[in-house]
Amino acid sequence: MRRASTLFWQILIGLGALALWEWGWNLHERLPWLIPDLLDPYFVSRPSVIFQQFLSMSCLVGRDGNWTFGVDGAFAKCMSRSENNLWIATFVTLKNTLWGFLTGVSSGFVLGLLLGRSNRLSQIFYPYITAFNSIPRIALAPIIILAFGIGDASKVVTAWLVVVFLVFFNTFEGARSVDRDHINASRLLGASEWQVTRTVIVPSTMAWLFASLSPAISFSLIGVIVGEFIGAEHGIGRMIIEAEARGEAAGMMVAVFVLMIAGVILSALVRRLQAYLLRWRPAQTVGG
Amino acid sequence: MPSTPPDVRCRIEINGLRKDFLANGREVVAVDDASFRIDDGEFVALLGPSGCGKSTILNMVATLIAPTGGTIKVDGAPVSFGKPVRHVGYVFQKDTLFPWRTVEDNIGYSLELAGVPIGERRTRVAEAIHQAGLDGFARFYPASLSGGMRQRVSLMRTLISNPEILLMDEPFGALDTHTKLDMHSVLLGLWERQRQTVLFVTHDLGEALTLADRIILLSARPGRVKQDFRVDFPRPRDAVALRETRQYAELFSKVWHSLGEEFARSRST
Ligand SMILES: Nc1ncnc2c1ncn2[C@@H]1O[C@H](COP(=O)(O)OP(=O)(O)OP(=O)(O)O)[C@@H](O)[C@H]1O
Ligand SMILES: [Mg+2]
Repeated sequence: MRRASTLFWQILIGLGALALWEWGWNLHERLPWLIPDLLDPYFVSRPSVIFQQFLSMSCLVGRDGNWTFGVDGAFAKCMSRSENNLWIATFVTLKNTLWGFLTGVSSGFVLGLLLGRSNRLSQIFYPYITAFNSIPRIALAPIIILAFGIGDASKVVTAWLVVVFLVFFNTFEGARSVDRDHINASRLLGASEWQVTRTVIVPSTMAWLFASLSPAISFSLIGVIVGEFIGAEHGIGRMIIEAEARGEAAGMMVAVFVLMIAGVILSALVRRLQAYLLRWRPAQTVGG
Repeated sequence: MPSTPPDVRCRIEINGLRKDFLANGREVVAVDDASFRIDDGEFVALLGPSGCGKSTILNMVATLIAPTGGTIKVDGAPVSFGKPVRHVGYVFQKDTLFPWRTVEDNIGYSLELAGVPIGERRTRVAEAIHQAGLDGFARFYPASLSGGMRQRVSLMRTLISNPEILLMDEPFGALDTHTKLDMHSVLLGLWERQRQTVLFVTHDLGEALTLADRIILLSARPGRVKQDFRVDFPRPRDAVALRETRQYAELFSKVWHSLGEEFARSRST
């Protein structure tokens, strides 16, 4: 009952917002105090236009305005017309996001583990890490594009840079807070130093690492998009910049929606993974 | 009646053991000049009021903390801090099961470390699970077990590698009376078969009388050995029936009196 009414309100609010977006501007002349200037279709386009734009950008509808499926070669022909069509752009952006995520998570984990478990190393490196951490990472993006070019590498590096610190700090905290009694128990059960690391320190730190996976994937996507804004051949970020240059609000909105959907799917997948890997935790704290 | 064979081997020998802690800039003497010995196959209970240094003594024997003074010998060799002796097993006061491992993986942990092949490991773990009455729980994670079940897993995790000497720190301290009695039967059953040398810390007199051959009574902090009682009830013992016997009641009141003085002292400090 409760769920049904929640769903009802959710749908109502969604439809209301879409309706306001679609037709609100028509009332602007008469009710300027109700409809803000921001709703000007020149900036935010309209849902119906955005949907049309999506169909044509994704080559589901050809230039002639007809559906491409069923028509032999129409889809391929439409696709070949643009170097950075919606499919390629999405693929490239997602690919770089995943690489940034994987490299950032793995290197952040190893660094966090090393420094977290060695007082010597953490004493030496900690000032540098805090200094680096206080640089807004995005500020380095132009330098990275200069150094790594406008190809995929620079996007992966930007994403890596954003992810690695996040994961590092989480892992570092986790590695410091490994339960002493677990380490003692392991030693008394016959573990060597290396076995203690492998069977106690790594698994208990993992719990902290997993907690950082969700923000890490979002950060990675942000890093890639910023990199693409500054200079890229492919990708959703470049698509947004190009649409902006042409004053095409609908094109930008399509790209933003694709990003939103990608973000939702990616974080849902990561949460699934997290819940599976932390299945040993008491139920109420999973994902918490 | 435990008859004392002439060639009895002394397994644990503690001499003039002392431990000072520095807490908030103040020196606390936790253990002061404790001396005792435990022979092969003996089940010894270390009894004393809370905070008298029982865990501290056990942790020093287990090489988890370094003594301030005195010596500890296991099988004639002095132990040194941070170097656990192979055949000494330890059951903690606190729950130290690895929460990310299932029951079977917790129990098989030491075998895994020792490189015991998977086939043999499986058989031994299955047997241990059965002995502990945990059939059907092999794939459970510790978080979904009751306190008593967790403690049984802890026990089997330590026992599976057949340690000859067993150190136990109030392993059943957190359990309700009924579960505790259950656990006493389980432990007695396992011990009757292997006759490990046991040093069992507790502040529960009934538990000490049920399980042990000897009770070493510690004084209130700083802990030192106050008295040494023989508990010569016949074995095998029945954890429940034993409590109704006259000998039990007599020994209980004798030790209780002595223990009561220490409890009173520990409260007044
Ligand atoms: N790491 C430590 N630092 C400072 N003081 C400590 C430390 N460990 C123990 N102590 C002190 O030493 C004394 C003995 O502690 P211990 O844990 O050995 O008591 P216990 O006999 O095991 O008590 P309980 O029955 O409550 O477990 C206590 O007064 C405690 O405050
Ligand atoms: Mg204790």
